[in-house]
Amino acid sequence: MISKAFKRALWVFHVNSGSCNGCDIEIIAALTPRYDAERFGIKLVGSPRHADVLAFTGPITKDMVDKVKRIYEQTPDPKVVLVVGACAIGGGVFHESYHLEGPIERIIPDAKCIYVPGCPPRPEAIIQGVAKAWEYLEEVEKK
Amino acid sequence: MLRTTGGFWDPVLWIIAFIVIAIIAYIIRGFGRKDYKKGEQAKPYLSGIEEPSKEEVYVKAGNIYWGFIEALRGYYDAMMKIHTGIINDYVAWFVGITVILFIAIFLVEVI
Repeated sequence: MISKAFKRALWVFHVNSGSCNGCDIEIIAALTPRYDAERFGIKLVGSPRHADVLAFTGPITKDMVDKVKRIYEQTPDPKVVLVVGACAIGGGVFHESYHLEGPIERIIPDAKCIYVPGCPPRPEAIIQGVAKAWEYLEEVEKK
Repeated sequence: MLRTTGGFWDPVLWIIAFIVIAIIAYIIRGFGRKDYKKGEQAKPYLSGIEEPSKEEVYVKAGNIYWGFIEALRGYYDAMMKIHTGIINDYVAWFVGITVILFIAIFLVEVI
């Protein structure tokens, strides 16, 4: 029972890979008492080595490419990438900018991505994204 | 067994306790994930930045003199240029200074 509870308590590591902070604020909002994601065991952690889910916000700039790859590698398997916001999904207003390397599939082709659209997405959508990640990880565990 | 006013010391009990704790630790370790990758995952997380080599981040004992060296930077810059670490340079300095001293002594004697 304890291990089952732990599997449902997903720990999220948030990476700002060039975001305007709009999505970051919404991620924080998901943790505030109004939405209180922590009651489900969903919480932000300070190191990718403790995380089940990587939440990327913002289009991935050239400067962030090596850092994004390293952070992905440092996250233990099985892991899910939560792509939060329009910029992270397709570049958003920065689409085809000279300094972008994103989206994430170009940098980490084998990453399992869950997309949360919006500019910025609402906290409910982000929590739903994490719930989808949990469903996926549960399927992986069954296999 | 050694009995004191503060309690007792028994090496056999201590060894037994150590073995029991080691077995418990090994069992807990067995619960860990088998698919944990060594390599990048085992390195410390430094905001995604590559871990610098130990030599690069090593703080030498000489760093405790930082303020002293900084205050006398002009003097130290000149002195550090002279100290090349090549024995030939040191011998050359020794010979040069000796010649100057001999000339000075000779001149003092003559004058």
